[in-house]
Amino acid sequence: MKSSANKVAIVTGGGRGIGLSIVERLLDDGYQVLSCGRSERPDAMPAKVCWLQADVSKAGDAKNIVERAEAELGPVILLVNNAGVQVEKTVEQSSDEDWDLVVGVNCRGVFNMSRACLPSMQKRTGNIINIGSISGNVSDPSMALYNASKAFVHGLTRSIAVDHGPNVRCNAIQPGWIMTAMADDAFALANNPEAAKKDALSRHPVGRFGKPSDIADLVSFLASDQSHYISGECITIDGGMTAASPLQPGLF
Amino acid sequence: MKLRKKVAVVTGGCGGIGRAICERLMSEGARVYAADLSQQGSFTDAATGGTYMQLDVTSEESVIAMMDEIKSIDGKLDILINAAGIEIEKTIEETTLGEWNRSFAVNVTGTFLTCKYALPLLRNAVTDTISASIINFGSYDGFIADPGLAAYCASKGAVHALTKAMACDHGPEGIRVNAICPGYIDTPMLQSFFNGEGSGGDGGDIESLQQAVRDVHPMRTYGTPEDVANLVNWLASDEARYASGQLWVLDGGLSAQVQQMKL
Repeated sequence: MKSSANKVAIVTGGGRGIGLSIVERLLDDGYQVLSCGRSERPDAMPAKVCWLQADVSKAGDAKNIVERAEAELGPVILLVNNAGVQVEKTVEQSSDEDWDLVVGVNCRGVFNMSRACLPSMQKRTGNIINIGSISGNVSDPSMALYNASKAFVHGLTRSIAVDHGPNVRCNAIQPGWIMTAMADDAFALANNPEAAKKDALSRHPVGRFGKPSDIADLVSFLASDQSHYISGECITIDGGMTAASPLQPGLF
Repeated sequence: MKLRKKVAVVTGGCGGIGRAICERLMSEGARVYAADLSQQGSFTDAATGGTYMQLDVTSEESVIAMMDEIKSIDGKLDILINAAGIEIEKTIEETTLGEWNRSFAVNVTGTFLTCKYALPLLRNAVTDTISASIINFGSYDGFIADPGLAAYCASKGAVHALTKAMACDHGPEGIRVNAICPGYIDTPMLQSFFNGEGSGGDGGDIESLQQAVRDVHPMRTYGTPEDVANLVNWLASDEARYASGQLWVLDGGLSAQVQQMKL
Protein backbone atom coordinates (compact mmCIF):
# COMPACT_ATOMS: atom_id res chain seq x y z
CA MET A 1 0.00 0.00 0.00
CA LYS A 2 1.75 3.16 -1.17
CA SER A 3 0.95 6.49 0.40
CA SER A 4 2.04 9.99 -0.42
CA ALA A 5 1.59 11.26 3.15
CA ASN A 6 4.80 11.84 5.07
CA LYS A 7 4.96 8.76 7.26
CA VAL A 8 8.11 8.43 9.35
CA ALA A 9 9.11 5.24 11.13
CA ILE A 10 11.98 4.22 13.37
CA VAL A 11 12.98 0.55 13.40
CA THR A 12 15.62 -0.33 15.99
CA GLY A 13 17.99 -3.17 15.22
CA GLY A 14 17.07 -3.04 11.53
CA GLY A 15 20.43 -4.23 10.26
CA ARG A 16 19.54 -7.90 9.73
CA GLY A 17 17.04 -10.68 10.23
CA ILE A 18 13.55 -9.67 11.35
CA GLY A 19 14.52 -6.01 11.68
CA LEU A 20 15.77 -5.73 8.11
CA SER A 21 12.64 -7.41 6.82
CA ILE A 22 10.51 -4.90 8.75
CA VAL A 23 12.54 -2.01 7.31
CA GLU A 24 12.02 -3.29 3.76
CA ARG A 25 8.30 -3.81 4.30
CA LEU A 26 7.78 -0.33 5.75
CA LEU A 27 9.62 1.22 2.78
CA ASP A 28 7.23 -0.71 0.57
CA ASP A 29 4.31 0.65 2.58
CA GLY A 30 5.48 4.20 1.86
CA TYR A 31 7.27 5.03 5.09
CA GLN A 32 10.43 7.01 5.40
CA VAL A 33 12.57 4.89 7.68
CA LEU A 34 15.37 5.55 10.09
CA SER A 35 17.05 2.48 11.48
CA CYS A 36 19.82 1.98 13.97
CA GLY A 37 22.13 -0.64 15.38
CA ARG A 38 25.30 -1.01 17.33
CA SER A 39 27.29 -1.70 14.16
CA GLU A 40 28.10 0.45 11.15
CA ARG A 41 25.62 0.72 8.31
CA PRO A 42 25.12 -2.82 6.95
CA ASP A 43 25.78 -3.38 3.24
CA ALA A 44 22.28 -4.82 2.79
CA MET A 45 20.60 -1.65 4.04
CA PRO A 46 18.50 -0.04 1.28
CA ALA A 47 19.89 3.34 0.20
CA LYS A 48 16.68 5.19 1.13
CA VAL A 49 17.05 4.25 4.78
CA CYS A 50 18.66 6.70 7.16
CA TRP A 51 21.07 4.66 9.33
CA LEU A 52 22.46 5.66 12.67
CA GLN A 53 25.04 3.75 14.67
CA ALA A 54 23.60 3.83 18.17
CA ASP A 55 22.92 1.76 21.28
CA VAL A 56 19.30 1.89 22.44
CA SER A 57 20.32 0.77 25.92
CA LYS A 58 21.79 4.27 26.39
CA ALA A 59 19.21 6.99 27.02
CA GLY A 60 21.36 9.60 25.26
CA ASP A 61 21.60 7.48 22.13
CA ALA A 62 17.83 6.89 22.13
CA LYS A 63 17.16 10.63 22.38
CA ASN A 64 19.64 11.22 19.57
CA ILE A 65 17.95 8.62 17.33
CA VAL A 66 14.57 10.32 17.69
CA GLU A 67 16.00 13.80 17.18
CA ARG A 68 17.82 12.70 14.01
CA ALA A 69 14.67 11.10 12.62
CA GLU A 70 12.59 14.22 13.29
CA ALA A 71 15.26 16.55 11.86
CA GLU A 72 15.88 14.55 8.70
CA LEU A 73 12.51 12.95 7.99
CA GLY A 74 9.83 14.64 10.11
CA PRO A 75 7.62 13.71 13.09
CA VAL A 76 7.87 10.02 13.98
CA ILE A 77 4.48 8.28 13.87
CA LEU A 78 5.73 4.70 14.09
CA LEU A 79 8.30 3.17 16.40
CA VAL A 80 9.20 -0.50 16.02
CA ASN A 81 11.25 -1.68 18.98
CA ASN A 82 12.90 -4.65 17.35
CA ALA A 83 16.45 -4.53 18.74
CA GLY A 84 17.08 -7.53 20.96
CA VAL A 85 19.82 -9.82 22.20
CA GLN A 86 19.80 -13.24 23.81
CA VAL A 87 22.19 -15.04 26.11
CA GLU A 88 21.78 -18.81 26.30
CA LYS A 89 22.18 -19.41 30.03
CA THR A 90 20.26 -20.34 33.17
CA VAL A 91 20.04 -17.92 36.12
CA GLU A 92 22.85 -19.76 37.86
CA GLN A 93 25.16 -19.39 34.87
CA SER A 94 24.36 -15.74 34.10
CA SER A 95 26.89 -13.05 34.98
CA ASP A 96 26.32 -9.39 35.83
CA GLU A 97 27.53 -8.56 32.33
CA ASP A 98 24.90 -10.89 30.83
CA TRP A 99 22.22 -9.11 32.86
CA ASP A 100 23.43 -5.68 31.76
CA LEU A 101 23.48 -6.74 28.11
CA VAL A 102 20.10 -8.51 27.94
CA VAL A 103 18.18 -6.19 30.26
CA GLY A 104 19.98 -3.17 28.78
CA VAL A 105 18.96 -3.81 25.19
CA ASN A 106 15.70 -5.75 25.54
CA CYS A 107 14.15 -3.86 28.46
CA ARG A 108 15.85 -0.52 28.87
CA GLY A 109 16.14 -0.12 25.10
CA VAL A 110 12.37 -0.41 24.63
CA PHE A 111 11.82 1.94 27.56
CA ASN A 112 14.38 4.50 26.31
CA MET A 113 13.02 4.58 22.77
CA SER A 114 9.38 4.71 23.80
CA ARG A 115 10.02 7.50 26.30
CA ALA A 116 11.90 9.50 23.68
CA CYS A 117 9.11 9.13 21.08
CA LEU A 118 6.02 9.56 23.25
CA PRO A 119 5.94 13.37 23.80
CA SER A 120 5.69 14.07 20.09
CA MET A 121 3.43 11.08 19.40
CA GLN A 122 0.97 12.12 22.10
CA LYS A 123 0.59 15.57 20.54
CA ARG A 124 -0.19 14.16 17.10
CA THR A 125 -0.60 10.46 16.63
CA GLY A 126 1.68 7.52 17.18
CA ASN A 127 2.04 3.81 17.08
CA ILE A 128 4.55 1.70 18.97
CA ILE A 129 5.12 -1.93 18.04
CA ASN A 130 7.36 -3.95 20.30
CA ILE A 131 8.90 -7.27 19.43
CA GLY A 132 8.30 -9.58 22.38
CA SER A 133 8.47 -13.35 22.18
CA ILE A 134 6.49 -16.49 22.96
CA SER A 135 9.38 -17.07 25.37
CA GLY A 136 7.96 -14.29 27.53
CA ASN A 137 4.92 -16.48 28.18
CA VAL A 138 6.39 -19.97 28.22
CA SER A 139 10.03 -20.66 28.94
CA ASP A 140 12.75 -21.75 26.59
CA PRO A 141 15.30 -23.74 28.60
CA SER A 142 18.61 -22.00 29.33
CA MET A 143 17.35 -18.61 28.18
CA ALA A 144 16.41 -17.23 31.59
CA LEU A 145 17.26 -13.55 31.16
CA TYR A 146 15.93 -13.46 27.59
CA ASN A 147 12.61 -15.06 28.64
CA ALA A 148 12.25 -12.60 31.51
CA SER A 149 13.20 -9.60 29.37
CA LYS A 150 10.48 -10.44 26.86
CA ALA A 151 7.88 -10.73 29.62
CA PHE A 152 8.93 -7.20 30.60
CA VAL A 153 8.29 -6.08 27.02
CA HIS A 154 4.78 -7.54 27.15
CA GLY A 155 4.02 -5.79 30.43
CA LEU A 156 5.40 -2.45 29.22
CA THR A 157 3.34 -2.79 26.03
CA ARG A 158 0.11 -2.92 28.02
CA SER A 159 1.20 -0.03 30.24
CA ILE A 160 2.02 2.24 27.29
CA ALA A 161 -1.32 1.39 25.67
CA VAL A 162 -3.20 2.14 28.89
CA ASP A 163 -1.31 5.31 29.81
CA HIS A 164 -0.84 6.95 26.43
CA GLY A 165 -4.06 6.37 24.51
CA PRO A 166 -6.03 7.72 22.75
CA ASN A 167 -3.41 9.24 20.47
CA VAL A 168 -0.92 6.43 20.83
CA ARG A 169 -1.52 2.75 20.19
CA CYS A 170 0.94 0.17 21.44
CA ASN A 171 1.06 -3.56 20.70
CA ALA A 172 3.62 -6.33 20.88
CA ILE A 173 4.35 -9.17 18.50
CA GLN A 174 5.35 -12.51 19.99
CA PRO A 175 7.24 -14.45 17.35
CA GLY A 176 7.89 -18.16 17.67
CA TRP A 177 10.70 -19.85 15.77
CA ILE A 178 11.75 -17.49 13.00
CA MET A 179 14.66 -18.70 10.93
CA THR A 180 17.32 -16.10 11.59
CA ALA A 181 20.91 -16.32 12.70
CA MET A 182 19.58 -16.17 16.29
CA ALA A 183 17.44 -19.31 15.74
CA ASP A 184 20.38 -21.12 14.16
CA ASP A 185 22.39 -20.36 17.30
CA ALA A 186 19.69 -22.08 19.33
CA PHE A 187 19.80 -25.21 17.17
CA ALA A 188 23.58 -25.23 17.44
CA LEU A 189 23.08 -26.02 21.13
CA ALA A 190 21.52 -29.36 20.19
CA ASN A 191 23.36 -32.69 20.33
CA ASN A 192 22.24 -33.35 16.79
CA PRO A 193 21.31 -30.03 15.15
CA GLU A 194 19.78 -31.65 12.05
CA ALA A 195 17.57 -34.04 14.03
CA ALA A 196 16.62 -31.19 16.34
CA LYS A 197 15.55 -29.09 13.38
CA LYS A 198 13.44 -31.91 11.95
CA ASP A 199 11.76 -32.50 15.30
CA ALA A 200 11.12 -28.79 15.76
CA LEU A 201 9.54 -28.58 12.34
CA SER A 202 7.08 -31.36 13.13
CA ARG A 203 5.80 -29.33 16.07
CA HIS A 204 4.55 -26.55 13.81
CA PRO A 205 0.96 -27.08 12.63
CA VAL A 206 1.63 -24.95 9.52
CA GLY A 207 4.52 -27.24 8.59
CA ARG A 208 7.30 -24.68 8.38
CA PHE A 209 9.35 -22.29 10.48
CA GLY A 210 8.61 -18.60 10.37
CA LYS A 211 10.30 -16.22 8.00
CA PRO A 212 11.30 -12.66 8.93
CA SER A 213 8.76 -11.46 6.37
CA ASP A 214 5.96 -13.15 8.38
CA ILE A 215 6.75 -10.75 11.22
CA ALA A 216 7.06 -7.82 8.82
CA ASP A 217 3.59 -8.63 7.48
CA LEU A 218 2.14 -8.36 10.97
CA VAL A 219 4.06 -5.13 11.66
CA SER A 220 2.57 -3.72 8.48
CA PHE A 221 -0.94 -4.65 9.62
CA LEU A 222 -0.47 -3.30 13.15
CA ALA A 223 0.95 -0.08 11.69
CA SER A 224 -2.02 0.35 9.37
CA ASP A 225 -5.49 1.78 9.93
CA GLN A 226 -6.83 -1.75 9.49
CA SER A 227 -5.82 -2.37 13.10
CA HIS A 228 -7.29 0.89 14.41
CA TYR A 229 -8.98 -0.70 17.42
CA ILE A 230 -6.14 -3.01 18.43
CA SER A 231 -4.10 -1.67 21.35
CA GLY A 232 -2.42 -3.21 24.37
CA GLU A 233 -2.30 -6.64 22.77
CA CYS A 234 0.53 -9.13 22.63
CA ILE A 235 -0.05 -11.12 19.47
CA THR A 236 1.50 -14.53 18.96
CA ILE A 237 2.76 -15.46 15.49
CA ASP A 238 4.30 -18.90 15.67
CA GLY A 239 2.69 -21.15 13.05
CA GLY A 240 0.47 -22.66 15.74
CA MET A 241 3.30 -24.06 17.84
CA THR A 242 2.18 -22.80 21.25
CA ALA A 243 -1.43 -23.80 20.56
CA ALA A 244 -0.26 -27.39 21.01
CA SER A 245 0.84 -29.04 24.21
CA PRO A 246 4.63 -29.14 24.63
CA LEU A 247 4.17 -32.86 25.09
CA GLN A 248 3.19 -34.69 21.94
CA PRO A 249 3.56 -38.44 22.42
CA GLY A 250 3.22 -38.94 18.67
CA LEU A 251 6.68 -37.43 18.24
CA PHE A 252 8.47 -39.92 20.46
CA MET B 1 -9.01 -32.81 59.60
CA LYS B 2 -9.78 -29.79 57.45
CA LEU B 3 -13.29 -30.82 56.40
CA ARG B 4 -15.00 -31.93 59.59
CA LYS B 5 -18.81 -31.75 59.40
CA LYS B 6 -18.75 -30.88 55.72
CA VAL B 7 -20.91 -32.72 53.20
CA ALA B 8 -19.40 -33.39 49.79
CA VAL B 9 -20.51 -34.86 46.48
CA VAL B 10 -17.89 -36.17 44.06
CA THR B 11 -19.20 -36.96 40.58
CA GLY B 12 -17.17 -39.56 38.77
CA GLY B 13 -16.45 -40.60 42.34
CA CYS B 14 -15.57 -44.20 41.42
CA GLY B 15 -13.15 -43.20 38.64
CA GLY B 16 -9.36 -42.84 38.77
CA ILE B 17 -9.18 -39.31 40.12
CA GLY B 18 -12.63 -39.33 41.75
CA ARG B 19 -11.82 -42.26 43.99
CA ALA B 20 -8.65 -40.59 45.31
CA ILE B 21 -10.66 -37.44 46.00
CA CYS B 22 -13.32 -39.37 47.93
CA GLU B 23 -10.75 -41.11 50.08
CA ARG B 24 -8.94 -37.86 50.82
CA LEU B 25 -12.08 -35.93 51.72
CA MET B 26 -13.21 -38.73 54.02
CA SER B 27 -9.82 -38.81 55.73
CA GLU B 28 -10.26 -35.08 56.36
CA GLY B 29 -13.54 -35.70 58.13
CA ALA B 30 -16.06 -34.95 55.37
CA ARG B 31 -19.22 -36.92 54.75
CA VAL B 32 -18.79 -37.98 51.13
CA TYR B 33 -21.17 -39.10 48.44
CA ALA B 34 -19.38 -40.89 45.63
CA ALA B 35 -21.67 -40.39 42.66
CA ASP B 36 -21.09 -42.41 39.52
CA LEU B 37 -22.81 -44.42 36.82
CA SER B 38 -21.90 -47.65 38.54
CA GLN B 39 -20.12 -48.77 41.67
CA GLN B 40 -16.86 -50.11 40.35
CA GLY B 41 -14.05 -51.99 42.06
CA SER B 42 -13.50 -52.14 45.78
CA PHE B 43 -15.16 -48.92 46.80
CA THR B 44 -17.41 -49.82 49.72
CA ASP B 45 -19.48 -47.78 52.13
CA ALA B 46 -18.45 -49.68 55.20
CA ALA B 47 -14.69 -49.46 54.70
CA THR B 48 -14.52 -45.77 54.01
CA GLY B 49 -17.60 -44.18 55.51
CA GLY B 50 -18.63 -42.84 52.13
CA THR B 51 -21.94 -43.37 50.42
CA TYR B 52 -22.33 -44.52 46.86
CA MET B 53 -24.94 -42.68 44.80
CA GLN B 54 -26.07 -43.87 41.41
CA LEU B 55 -25.86 -40.82 39.15
CA ASP B 56 -25.96 -40.04 35.45
CA VAL B 57 -24.74 -36.43 35.25
CA THR B 58 -26.28 -36.02 31.80
CA SER B 59 -29.78 -36.74 33.15
CA GLU B 60 -31.68 -33.89 34.79
CA GLU B 61 -33.95 -36.37 36.58
CA SER B 62 -30.99 -38.29 37.95
CA VAL B 63 -29.28 -35.13 39.23
CA ILE B 64 -32.50 -33.84 40.83
CA ALA B 65 -33.13 -37.19 42.48
CA MET B 66 -29.65 -37.27 44.01
CA MET B 67 -29.86 -33.71 45.32
CA ASP B 68 -33.31 -34.46 46.78
CA GLU B 69 -31.90 -37.43 48.60
CA ILE B 70 -28.98 -35.44 50.01
CA LYS B 71 -31.42 -32.72 51.05
CA SER B 72 -33.52 -35.20 52.98
CA ILE B 73 -30.49 -36.72 54.70
CA ASP B 74 -28.20 -33.75 55.32
CA GLY B 75 -30.21 -30.66 54.42
CA LYS B 76 -27.12 -29.01 52.95
CA LEU B 77 -24.10 -29.48 50.71
CA ASP B 78 -20.73 -27.82 51.42
CA ILE B 79 -18.64 -29.18 48.58
CA LEU B 80 -19.50 -30.18 45.00
CA ILE B 81 -16.75 -31.75 42.95
CA ASN B 82 -17.45 -32.35 39.27
CA ALA B 83 -14.89 -35.02 38.43
CA ALA B 84 -17.04 -36.97 35.96
CA GLY B 85 -15.59 -36.70 32.48
CA ILE B 86 -15.03 -38.57 29.26
CA GLU B 87 -12.43 -38.27 26.52
CA ILE B 88 -12.99 -39.03 22.85
CA GLU B 89 -9.62 -39.59 21.16
CA LYS B 90 -10.36 -38.19 17.72
CA THR B 91 -9.96 -35.18 15.48
CA ILE B 92 -13.18 -33.32 14.59
CA GLU B 93 -13.25 -35.01 11.21
CA GLU B 94 -13.31 -38.43 12.85
CA THR B 95 -15.73 -37.41 15.60
CA THR B 96 -19.38 -38.25 15.01
CA LEU B 97 -22.08 -35.84 16.08
CA GLY B 98 -23.14 -38.43 18.64
CA GLU B 99 -19.62 -38.55 20.14
CA TRP B 100 -19.41 -34.77 20.16
CA ASN B 101 -22.76 -34.48 21.92
CA ARG B 102 -21.79 -37.19 24.39
CA SER B 103 -18.55 -35.31 25.25
CA PHE B 104 -20.43 -32.11 25.92
CA ALA B 105 -23.28 -33.91 27.70
CA VAL B 106 -20.93 -35.40 30.29
CA ASN B 107 -18.20 -32.77 30.57
CA VAL B 108 -20.21 -29.55 30.17
CA THR B 109 -23.93 -30.28 30.60
CA GLY B 110 -23.14 -32.60 33.51
CA THR B 111 -21.27 -29.80 35.26
CA PHE B 112 -24.11 -27.39 34.52
CA LEU B 113 -26.79 -29.75 35.88
CA THR B 114 -25.06 -30.71 39.11
CA CYS B 115 -24.20 -27.08 39.85
CA LYS B 116 -27.70 -25.88 39.00
CA TYR B 117 -29.43 -28.31 41.33
CA ALA B 118 -26.76 -28.16 44.05
CA LEU B 119 -27.11 -24.39 44.47
CA PRO B 120 -30.04 -24.47 46.96
CA LEU B 121 -28.17 -27.02 49.08
CA LEU B 122 -24.90 -25.10 48.82
CA ARG B 123 -26.67 -21.94 50.03
CA ASN B 124 -27.86 -23.89 53.07
CA ALA B 125 -24.22 -24.59 53.97
CA VAL B 126 -23.12 -20.95 53.77
CA THR B 127 -22.77 -18.94 56.97
CA ASP B 128 -21.29 -15.51 57.69
CA THR B 129 -17.84 -17.04 57.97
CA ILE B 130 -18.04 -20.27 55.97
CA SER B 131 -18.35 -20.50 52.20
CA ALA B 132 -19.44 -23.39 50.03
CA SER B 133 -17.11 -24.67 47.31
CA ILE B 134 -17.68 -25.96 43.80
CA ILE B 135 -14.66 -27.55 42.15
CA ASN B 136 -14.96 -28.31 38.45
CA PHE B 137 -12.60 -30.32 36.32
CA GLY B 138 -11.11 -28.45 33.42
CA SER B 139 -7.85 -29.55 31.86
CA TYR B 140 -4.62 -28.06 30.64
CA ASP B 141 -6.07 -29.20 27.31
CA GLY B 142 -8.54 -26.33 27.70
CA PHE B 143 -5.59 -23.97 27.18
CA ILE B 144 -3.34 -25.83 24.74
CA ALA B 145 -4.26 -28.77 22.58
CA ASP B 146 -3.16 -32.37 22.55
CA PRO B 147 -3.46 -33.87 19.08
CA GLY B 148 -6.53 -35.99 18.37
CA LEU B 149 -8.58 -34.77 21.34
CA ALA B 150 -10.65 -32.03 19.74
CA ALA B 151 -14.02 -32.50 21.46
CA TYR B 152 -12.30 -33.02 24.81
CA CYS B 153 -10.21 -29.84 24.45
CA ALA B 154 -13.29 -27.84 23.47
CA SER B 155 -15.44 -29.21 26.29
CA LYS B 156 -12.78 -28.39 28.87
CA GLY B 157 -12.48 -24.85 27.52
CA ALA B 158 -16.23 -24.55 28.08
CA VAL B 159 -15.84 -25.75 31.68
CA HIS B 160 -13.20 -23.06 32.26
CA ALA B 161 -15.50 -20.29 31.08
CA LEU B 162 -18.46 -21.72 33.00
CA THR B 163 -16.33 -21.78 36.14
CA LYS B 164 -15.59 -18.08 35.89
CA ALA B 165 -19.19 -17.25 35.06
CA MET B 166 -20.53 -19.12 38.09
CA ALA B 167 -17.88 -17.57 40.35
CA CYS B 168 -19.15 -14.13 39.30
CA ASP B 169 -22.82 -15.01 39.70
CA HIS B 170 -22.70 -16.90 42.97
CA GLY B 171 -19.75 -15.32 44.79
CA PRO B 172 -22.10 -12.82 46.45
CA GLU B 173 -23.99 -15.77 47.94
CA GLY B 174 -20.85 -17.17 49.53
CA ILE B 175 -20.27 -19.87 46.96
CA ARG B 176 -16.77 -20.24 45.58
CA VAL B 177 -16.23 -21.81 42.17
CA ASN B 178 -12.85 -23.01 40.92
CA ALA B 179 -11.60 -25.44 38.31
CA ILE B 180 -8.64 -27.78 38.52
CA CYS B 181 -6.87 -28.23 35.18
CA PRO B 182 -4.78 -31.38 35.40
CA GLY B 183 -2.03 -32.25 32.98
CA TYR B 184 -0.85 -35.84 32.70
CA ILE B 185 -2.25 -37.79 35.65
CA ASP B 186 -1.73 -41.53 35.91
CA THR B 187 -5.28 -42.82 35.41
CA PRO B 188 -7.04 -45.35 33.19
CA MET B 189 -7.91 -42.40 30.91
CA LEU B 190 -4.21 -41.60 30.46
CA GLN B 191 -3.32 -45.21 29.74
CA SER B 192 -6.07 -45.26 27.13
CA PHE B 193 -4.57 -42.14 25.56
CA PHE B 194 -1.11 -43.75 25.48
CA ASN B 195 -2.54 -46.79 23.74
CA GLY B 196 -4.65 -44.76 21.32
CA GLU B 197 -3.85 -44.43 17.66
CA GLY B 198 -3.65 -40.67 17.80
CA SER B 199 -0.95 -40.70 20.45
CA GLY B 200 1.65 -42.58 18.43
CA GLY B 201 1.80 -45.23 21.13
CA ASP B 202 2.25 -48.53 19.32
CA GLY B 203 1.37 -50.62 22.36
CA GLY B 204 4.68 -52.47 22.00
CA ASP B 205 6.94 -50.19 23.97
CA ILE B 206 4.62 -48.41 26.32
CA GLU B 207 7.20 -48.04 29.09
CA SER B 208 9.74 -46.19 26.96
CA LEU B 209 6.95 -43.96 25.68
CA GLN B 210 5.88 -43.25 29.24
CA GLN B 211 9.46 -42.49 30.28
CA ALA B 212 9.83 -40.08 27.37
CA VAL B 213 6.63 -38.37 28.48
CA ARG B 214 7.87 -38.11 32.06
CA ASP B 215 11.14 -36.61 30.83
CA VAL B 216 9.38 -33.74 29.09
CA HIS B 217 7.93 -32.58 32.39
CA PRO B 218 10.06 -30.17 34.42
CA MET B 219 9.25 -32.36 37.47
CA ARG B 220 10.28 -35.43 35.42
CA THR B 221 7.14 -37.36 36.30
CA TYR B 222 3.47 -37.22 35.69
CA GLY B 223 0.99 -36.73 38.45
CA THR B 224 -0.99 -39.13 40.59
CA PRO B 225 -4.68 -38.95 41.53
CA GLU B 226 -3.46 -38.17 45.06
CA ASP B 227 -1.72 -35.02 43.76
CA VAL B 228 -5.07 -33.86 42.43
CA ALA B 229 -6.81 -34.81 45.67
CA ASN B 230 -4.35 -32.62 47.59
CA LEU B 231 -5.43 -29.56 45.63
CA VAL B 232 -9.11 -30.51 45.86
CA ASN B 233 -8.75 -30.80 49.61
CA TRP B 234 -7.30 -27.31 49.89
CA LEU B 235 -9.80 -25.69 47.55
CA ALA B 236 -12.65 -27.39 49.42
CA SER B 237 -11.38 -26.23 52.80
CA ASP B 238 -12.00 -22.97 54.62
CA GLU B 239 -8.32 -22.10 54.12
CA ALA B 240 -9.20 -21.37 50.49
CA ARG B 241 -11.98 -18.94 51.45
CA TYR B 242 -10.60 -16.18 49.20
CA ALA B 243 -9.91 -18.44 46.20
CA SER B 244 -12.61 -18.25 43.54
CA GLY B 245 -13.04 -18.03 39.79
CA GLN B 246 -9.62 -19.47 39.11
CA LEU B 247 -8.30 -22.19 36.83
CA TRP B 248 -5.70 -24.14 38.78
CA VAL B 249 -3.29 -25.81 36.40
CA LEU B 250 -1.67 -28.89 37.96
CA ASP B 251 0.78 -30.34 35.46
CA GLY B 252 4.27 -30.62 36.95
CA GLY B 253 5.33 -27.49 35.08
CA LEU B 254 4.58 -28.99 31.66
CA SER B 255 2.77 -26.00 30.23
CA ALA B 256 5.29 -23.49 31.58
CA GLN B 257 7.57 -24.51 28.75
CA VAL B 258 7.88 -23.78 25.11
CA GLN B 259 7.62 -26.91 22.92
CA GLN B 260 10.42 -29.20 24.01
CA MET B 261 12.42 -30.08 20.93
CA LYS B 262 14.44 -33.30 20.97
CA LEU B 263 17.88 -31.85 21.64
